[in-house]
Amino acid sequence: MGGKCPHRKVKKRRLSHKSARRTKFELKGDDAVYDELKKTDGGASKSLPLDEDLPGMGQFYCLHCDRYFSNVAVRDEHFKTKKHKKRVKIMMGPAPHTQLDADLAAGMGMPDNGPKLMSM
Amino acid sequence: MRLEKCWFCSSTVYPGHGIQFVRNDAKIFRFCRSKCHKNFKMKRNPRKVKWTKAYRRLHGKDMTQDSTFEFERKRNRPERYDRDIVENTLKAIKKIDKVRVARAETHHKIRMGGKKEKEQKEAKTELEQSINMVKAPGAVSLLPARKHKVPQQQTQENRAMEE
Repeated sequence: MGGKCPHRKVKKRRLSHKSARRTKFELKGDDAVYDELKKTDGGASKSLPLDEDLPGMGQFYCLHCDRYFSNVAVRDEHFKTKKHKKRVKIMMGPAPHTQLDADLAAGMGMPDNGPKLMSM
Repeated sequence: MRLEKCWFCSSTVYPGHGIQFVRNDAKIFRFCRSKCHKNFKMKRNPRKVKWTKAYRRLHGKDMTQDSTFEFERKRNRPERYDRDIVENTLKAIKKIDKVRVARAETHHKIRMGGKKEKEQKEAKTELEQSINMVKAPGAVSLLPARKHKVPQQQTQENRAMEE
């Protein structure tokens, strides 16, 4: 995510501070994005809330990559990138690994939550 | 005391071991050792890393569906203490463990045993299909008949020489 930093000569630190951080911690996890996509059914976004701190008042958002853009043109340009397409492909695939998957793989049964007390 | 499973490799995490990561959406990730934690931080997918249980399960390396798996499960309701039940479960654990180990062993045997037949079959078909690369098409059918004759002649000659 994010390109090279134009004025950096040391190869190890070639990403700018912002893009280096973005790949590591600021992004949503795969499973969180997957759940969000499931909820909205493929990224048809409703009206986003106005936020002064985000680029473009938080109006131009890519659900798959969890990124905000300053305007429509930039966002549409982002949709054409390889990174975005790769991400979409991953999200179209099987659901990400969860703790339940880990438990099942370890030879445990499905969790037992007991009888339902309240019927909704 | 609850024995949790590692998020990455699905091994058991005993109390006082490993590390736990709570994400800012309150999801808990437990890891049995720093190896698993580091792999998680590298955003690796356990389904694609060969040494994890998730991979082995997915690719048919381990036993998957078995009735013995139904006993160990996360129970999210308190159980009232009953001395008899505890005694019986302690007895049953040993028995079930024995059954599971035996079944896993047979599964392993079947998995490792089946390949030789398949390899021989493949080798046979390859020989039939591409023998023409080595010998001319006409010569193949004559080959075994010649082989039988040659040693007999040789032996006869040898006898003559000896005499």
